[in-house]
Amino acid sequence: MNASEAAQTIFRGLKGAGISLVATLPDVNLSDLLAEVESDAEVTHVPLCREEEGIGICAGAYLVGKKCATIMQNGGFFNSCNGIVSTLLQYQIPVLLLIYYAGDIGDRTFSTSGAMTEPVLQALGIRYYILRDPVDSAELIKRAQILAEDSKRPVAMLLTKEALGRRSVVSSL
Amino acid sequence: MKRFTCLQALAQVAGDALVVSSAGAMTLEWNSLRPSDGNFRVRTLGLCSSIALGMALGLPRRKVIALDGDGSLLMNLCSLPTIARMSPDNLLHIVFDNEVYEASGSKKTATGAGTDLVGIARAAGVNNARWANSPEEFANAIRVALSGNKLCFIGVKVSTERAEVPPYPMDEVENKYRFIRHVERMEKIAILKGNLPASYS
Repeated sequence: MNASEAAQTIFRGLKGAGISLVATLPDVNLSDLLAEVESDAEVTHVPLCREEEGIGICAGAYLVGKKCATIMQNGGFFNSCNGIVSTLLQYQIPVLLLIYYAGDIGDRTFSTSGAMTEPVLQALGIRYYILRDPVDSAELIKRAQILAEDSKRPVAMLLTKEALGRRSVVSSL
Repeated sequence: MKRFTCLQALAQVAGDALVVSSAGAMTLEWNSLRPSDGNFRVRTLGLCSSIALGMALGLPRRKVIALDGDGSLLMNLCSLPTIARMSPDNLLHIVFDNEVYEASGSKKTATGAGTDLVGIARAAGVNNARWANSPEEFANAIRVALSGNKLCFIGVKVSTERAEVPPYPMDEVENKYRFIRHVERMEKIAILKGNLPASYS
């Protein structure tokens, strides 16, 4: 699956999960996915200046009936922690967090961010799944939204380069 | 100018607008003047404007009012270019600027040293941004904003005085559920659904 097809699969998962508002901040590895979000007339796309405001925007939209997701790099997830804790977790608000996993194994950028990503998610008590095989993305994203709604909490999907169609899938990962 | 006087004027004209208010005494004052399940208290300093933007985008035919503070908006200035970019017609963003972090021990914010939040809003692209310099100007500005159909930003300099009002009557989770049920009733939509028993899934 190439990057464009992988992005389409992820986006199909978001649509299938009923997501109708997506707040984003670019990473070069997310380009194809953001192009999908931008080109869909049914989804409200909110381009952000800083990721934490996206947490607030998604919370507000959820309170009036929208299912929401954010798409950001793991650096943006770190930027969002106060909003995640004192709004999403404190009020029990479900939002899907699609996080590009910079510093993942074999990735030449931000190895420190990569090392901290899962421990921070664990510390916040956020359940997360690492997407590797792009074939699985749509179904797993739909399941993640069910979990978010049932648990009334954010759920994170870590988007690796494999899941984004930018590196070949290794069966032992 | 007293914040409470401004809020009294707002309560006269707010109607059934959804109101999002920033952490601090302002929320208690507003809730005493317009007690409603359509009030949402924000606990994350800064996110008032962003939560209000999300509501305004999610319910484009319903007025949404953000009651922000200077300390809160200074922490999330980047919400202004995002609000300008999305430009929801149904959002009224009011900032009560008392030049201190009132809920955090009344230390000075940058606005007392000359930072102009209305100027920042305009420069961010919120064209319809203005200061209200008297109670009359404020009353007029909110009336115009709520009767029109355009994104509006109103700044008002207020004293640090607090009104004697009761504490907020509920916790965050109850606030959430009441607010969502209120939206369901007003908009005649279903938002919350019970979890399906396993035998149905």
